[in-house]
Amino acid sequence: MSVVDLSQLTVGTRLPSLTVRFTRETLVRYAGASTDFNPIHYSGFYAAQVGLPGVIGHGMLTMGSALRVVTDWVGDPSRVRSYFVRFTKPVVVPDDADGTELVFGGVVEAIDDALVTIAIEAVTGDVKVLGAARAVVDCA
Amino acid sequence: MSITADHAGRRYPPTPVYEVSAAKIAEFASALGDDNSAYTGEKPIAPPTFVAVISSAAWESMFDDPELGLALRRIVHGDQRFTYRRPLRAGDRVQATLTIDKVRNRGAADIISSSVEVETVSGELICTAEATFFHSHEADA
Repeated sequence: MSVVDLSQLTVGTRLPSLTVRFTRETLVRYAGASTDFNPIHYSGFYAAQVGLPGVIGHGMLTMGSALRVVTDWVGDPSRVRSYFVRFTKPVVVPDDADGTELVFGGVVEAIDDALVTIAIEAVTGDVKVLGAARAVVDCA
Repeated sequence: MSITADHAGRRYPPTPVYEVSAAKIAEFASALGDDNSAYTGEKPIAPPTFVAVISSAAWESMFDDPELGLALRRIVHGDQRFTYRRPLRAGDRVQATLTIDKVRNRGAADIISSSVEVETVSGELICTAEATFFHSHEADA
């Protein structure tokens, strides 16, 4: 059983937001966990070589982190039926103690029987780093 | 060699069998800072985006294809869609098979649409991972 009460759910309902911080350590951990060792995610030298303003986070790290807005809310991650994001802006992560803060939000966009579509927002500062992000969860 | 629309339809052999482990699930969830209880315990499931771990081996078969002339550091992930039949679980033995769906050449960039099917060794489809990659032509410095 889902912890989400469908009878109380309406389009426009906002999910609790989530704030996370990516540091270089976050990127190194994600590189190892995901096996994505593209050097633009840890080497300023290679990032500059392809014209990036600095080392950037893995798009999949942002994607995976943003989905926590939905899975924290629904409780059971196995209810996620589909998930789409467009990587609109890179997340530059400086080599310092603070790194980069990201804020994720979610709003109920559609309810089709028990299938609930959540529009997900992901920003750092005032820059949107994900576009058209949508997850569909089964709340039956 | 470079990638062109003629490469649409190219399908790579399935990746070597990957066995999902509780330890790798825990490592991945930890890397996301995600303490959801579904990812721990006796019968953990994997975070939904863990599929990228399995897909990445299939993406590499395309990135490393000498006929396409791609270079990893000149590739940017444009968008990603996952469609799930069920979550990956510890103990699943899976393979990923990539198909190049569409290639567009736009100025100094190639836009590559691909899809990866993740299936168990017994042929059960678990997830489809569709991705768009942008590959820039600039010569390496």
